[in-house]
Amino acid sequence: MNVNALIPTVDWRALAPFTIVVCTGIVALIIEMLRPRRNNNLVVGVSLFGLLVAGWSLFGMLGGPSDESFAGMILNDRFGQILQLVMVGSCAVCFLFSEPYLREKRIPFAEFYPLALWSTAGGMLMVSSKHLLMVFLGLELLSISLYCLAGMSRYESKSEESALKYFLLGSFASAFLLMGIAFIYGETASLHLGRISEVLGAASASPLSTIGAAMVLVGLGFKLALVPFHQWTPDVYQGAPTNVTAFMAAVSKVAALGALVRFLWAIGTLDTVWFPLMWWVAVATMTVGNLAALVQNDVKRTLGYSSIAHAGYLLVGVLAAFSAPGRVSLDATAFYLISYAAMTIGAFAVISLTASGQHEGTRFYDVRGLWKRAPWAAGCLVVFLCSLIGIPITSGFFGKLLIFQAAFDAGLPALAVLLAVNSAISTYYYLGIIQAAFVTEEGAVAPRFGKPSASLNLACAVCLAGVLGAGLFAGPLIRGMGTAEVGPPVGVPVQDPLTIHTKNTSD
Amino acid sequence: MTVPNEFSTVWWIVFLPLLGFLFQALLGKRLVETLGAKFGRPAAGAIAVAPIGLAFLLGADLTSKLAQLPEHARAAVSTLGPWMSVQGLQVPFELRVDPLSMTMVLIITGIGALIHLYAIGYMAQERDFPRFFTYLNLFVAAMLVLVLGNNLVLTFVGWEGVGVCSYLLIGFWYRDLANSKAANKAFIVNRVGDVGFALGMFWIVHLLSQNRETLAVTGERWLSYDTILAVSPRLLEMFPTALFWISILLFIGAMGKSAQFPLYVWLPDAMAGPTPVSALIHAATMVTSGVYLLNRMSPWIALSPAAMGIIAIVGAVTALVGAAIAFGQTDIKTVLAYSTVSQLGYMFIACGVGAFWAGMFHVITHAFFKALLFLGSGAVIYAMAHQQDMRHYGNLRRYLPITFATMAVGWAAIVGVPFLFSGFWSKEAVLGAAVNQTHGATGAFGLTAGQLAGWVGFAVAAMTAFYMTRMMLLTFGTSEERWRDAVPDHHAEPVHSHEADADHHDVEDVEGFFFSDAEMERASMLEVHEEHHDLDSHHTPREVPWVMWVPLVLLAVGSLGFVGSWLGGANHRLEAWLTGHAPHEAHGPVAHNLLIGISALAFVSGVGLAFWLYGKKTPVWEGMDDKKWNPLQLFARRQFGIDAILSDGTVRLGGIVGAVCFALDRYVVDGVVNGVGVLARSLGGAVRQPQTGYVRTYATLMQYGAVALVAYVVYRLMTGAPQ
Repeated sequence: MNVNALIPTVDWRALAPFTIVVCTGIVALIIEMLRPRRNNNLVVGVSLFGLLVAGWSLFGMLGGPSDESFAGMILNDRFGQILQLVMVGSCAVCFLFSEPYLREKRIPFAEFYPLALWSTAGGMLMVSSKHLLMVFLGLELLSISLYCLAGMSRYESKSEESALKYFLLGSFASAFLLMGIAFIYGETASLHLGRISEVLGAASASPLSTIGAAMVLVGLGFKLALVPFHQWTPDVYQGAPTNVTAFMAAVSKVAALGALVRFLWAIGTLDTVWFPLMWWVAVATMTVGNLAALVQNDVKRTLGYSSIAHAGYLLVGVLAAFSAPGRVSLDATAFYLISYAAMTIGAFAVISLTASGQHEGTRFYDVRGLWKRAPWAAGCLVVFLCSLIGIPITSGFFGKLLIFQAAFDAGLPALAVLLAVNSAISTYYYLGIIQAAFVTEEGAVAPRFGKPSASLNLACAVCLAGVLGAGLFAGPLIRGMGTAEVGPPVGVPVQDPLTIHTKNTSD
Repeated sequence: MTVPNEFSTVWWIVFLPLLGFLFQALLGKRLVETLGAKFGRPAAGAIAVAPIGLAFLLGADLTSKLAQLPEHARAAVSTLGPWMSVQGLQVPFELRVDPLSMTMVLIITGIGALIHLYAIGYMAQERDFPRFFTYLNLFVAAMLVLVLGNNLVLTFVGWEGVGVCSYLLIGFWYRDLANSKAANKAFIVNRVGDVGFALGMFWIVHLLSQNRETLAVTGERWLSYDTILAVSPRLLEMFPTALFWISILLFIGAMGKSAQFPLYVWLPDAMAGPTPVSALIHAATMVTSGVYLLNRMSPWIALSPAAMGIIAIVGAVTALVGAAIAFGQTDIKTVLAYSTVSQLGYMFIACGVGAFWAGMFHVITHAFFKALLFLGSGAVIYAMAHQQDMRHYGNLRRYLPITFATMAVGWAAIVGVPFLFSGFWSKEAVLGAAVNQTHGATGAFGLTAGQLAGWVGFAVAAMTAFYMTRMMLLTFGTSEERWRDAVPDHHAEPVHSHEADADHHDVEDVEGFFFSDAEMERASMLEVHEEHHDLDSHHTPREVPWVMWVPLVLLAVGSLGFVGSWLGGANHRLEAWLTGHAPHEAHGPVAHNLLIGISALAFVSGVGLAFWLYGKKTPVWEGMDDKKWNPLQLFARRQFGIDAILSDGTVRLGGIVGAVCFALDRYVVDGVVNGVGVLARSLGGAVRQPQTGYVRTYATLMQYGAVALVAYVVYRLMTGAPQ
């Protein structure tokens, strides 16, 4: 027997970004062990360098053809590469403002950097595989690192609490995911999404595979913070150290969205079953996220709910791309992800300034007078929030516009209108944050702020460049996206559930 | 349109002042700080004058090149590049070199350079020296864009640019509430005119773009003058009404900028600005841009006799009202301001009777003598420690001989001393063309509107002779040295003596944006914008420094009769230059010699009456005590209440509209919006309910959600989802 037949050819090129990030994490950890009690500058430097190399290798692959290697375990396509780039970039920007934040809060936890790197690697794995086992592995790698990170501020009970909550609920969700994968395996005898899609397409829908699909959606929906699996989000976002929140909001959302897209495309033949479901989930996610955000009085919590709402917008883009293959592509969604990552990390970076000494308050009245202490950061915050609202020339505006247009083109006008209404609602609480930072007079007790460090200002500048640059060059960026290579989803395009509904009544 | 290379240097005429502006704005302050006030300010001033002077030389060079071309070929367009390109409408950056634009360029840069020079001396004590020259250079650049632009949009850019600079310069001493209000007034009143201008432009675009084939419009530059003016005869055949209304709209624009009745109210208040500004912007250049616009659009406007009639009548009313109000003014600059209003009326009369070139002729001569008079009044004000009330002057000819001599030349020019001074020639051209108008809209008394306006113009000439002589006598005449009795007034600021602003000081400023009197005093202790020394019995007026009197002398030379006779005498040089064809001798109902006789009579009667009344001493009815004033003159001093009616009327009306809108917004719109907001918040509260913070609750809810999801898919499956 030929031994070589058993050993798959190793495509190191496809694996390179992922490998680089993991190895950088290991090197960072070793450096940290060798130089305890010293400052973390070398760790940060090495990590940023590793991320830069990973990003460069990803960038080099962007033009190449898509292929699979490792027996279908690793997929190398444009959609995945773009998402990986976003994650690598997000991680790097988080690192930029983490060091001053950690020092300000006296968190002696240099393991933050290796853990975040591995977490990023997990996310990268999730979006670049069509194998459910790999997706699960990636998800766990992402999640377990995040559980540790959320609890790294050990003297703060809220940090501990958020880590434990995240861990318990995350395990619960993973159980659903794993169970769903098992069900699907039971039906199709494969974990490869391509194969699953073929098998499901050939036979009629069975209870086993449908229920399995629903349970996988529960698992992924938890990670993406879709309603009704969103309750953990505000608590964890609020409790976790701010740099971890920023990381979580960007990287894990991108990863989960990538995995969701691949999964939905694979179970395209079951769309009559899940499409209306996801339609309602999208509506509920947008609406609940925004309405709940209205009554918050904590900036991090508000941004947590806002991230739920944005997950809803993203889902609208995904559904639009699914239901009108050929006409509407995932470009809008990918663009939105880029802009979402930039503006969210930017906003959290500025909010991290409220840490002063070991004290950190993130309520609205804790950011009073921010613009006086840190005019540059506060100015950037305004741009990020304007982008989150969707005010023109920022990328947030173009992102929303593109998704709105996509939903319309795909024949989902109700979703488009709900998206617009929700953006209007969201204006209220985003402006509330701006008002707190700029307009409100300082009271008897002036809030304390950390000194804005150069690296934090740099992080703000990078995010600002992302938000404004993506807005200014929206056209070229979209044209360069070329995510059509995800391939057309299998299955028949379905209509808006509302129109189905009216049809049923007319019958 | 071909672009002759020899004219592309025209761009530098605009760029030079713009570079000067950038220098002043970015480096001016640093320069003054580095060199110190004593050397820095003159240095900065010299750098401000240089680009204007260079632009003048460039303009003169281009003019001579233009003059060498045959008459029909004296128009060239130099395009820098495309600017706006919207659905076929093309608006490039293009400048026009033709006799009209070059004439304006020479006035703006020539007189502009002299006034810049003068301002170095006048503003020498000013702390914000570079800021002043920043605005002044920017103004010149904008004004040049206005006159050189080859399309209405570029003209409009310049139009708004000069408006902004005018606003900034009127409010230059912005710490005083009265100045800020005057600046606002000028800006707001000008907006009224600008609306007309903008609507006219939009209408032109609409007309031309909708009727491309029928009008045979070539190209897509629908707002360029060559396009507009070429299609105007066809427009007359097809859309005579539109032609009329567009003319009126553009005229409304011109009325705002050129202070025509009833939009003149901003100009007298605009004297709050430093005197060089009054001379440059509010006498010589900016206020004549309305006349320029009518000249530029003359082939179009001339097609509508009704519009022409309206223009002539408005001009005549303006001339009359301006002159009448000037009778009662005691502030030297305000007298000159109203005389400017009145003279602008003459220019519009000329345009209204079709003698557009005569309007330009008066623009030229007026630019010289009015700039001269303003700068002369500035020299007087400078010598009199910023006291502007003529009742505190008297016998100044003894102390300010150069100023007196030059201002006397200006006086002779404006009152129209026959033949010897320039004003006579241009006034003759305007009024002669008016009373000899043969075709035109019907007026009254068997005269055309233009003829009527012309006869009003002669009456105004007599009035002008009177009030200008009064001004000269009160300032320089008699042997009374009235400032010696003056009570020191620490708060004497420009314009305060102007009646229209008298109430500004009593008004409580509720907004709190401006400084209160106490704050003003504190601020002026910290930084003195001008070094005041008060009038008292020891005050001795001194002649101004050379940088101030040299421009006076040069302007006085320009106001002499040879300029007028060379341009508008028997050779008709200006008419031939501007109209491009040899002038034809007009044969109207009134003979040429008779006209000169009437002019002379008007001049003699006005001057004589003034000497009789004011020659010996100031009459008691014009003293410091308002109660002794004769009621007619007091009424004139209060502008016959026109300003009050207009300002209060519009402000009240605006207030009512605002109150209605506010009520609508407050109770209807806000009600709806707040209702929605309350609803959303309460929904948000409901959504928050399950957010207990307990993991068990969250897990349970997730469980419910998962069950619901699975139940739903099973339901879909069971109810036979189509496969």
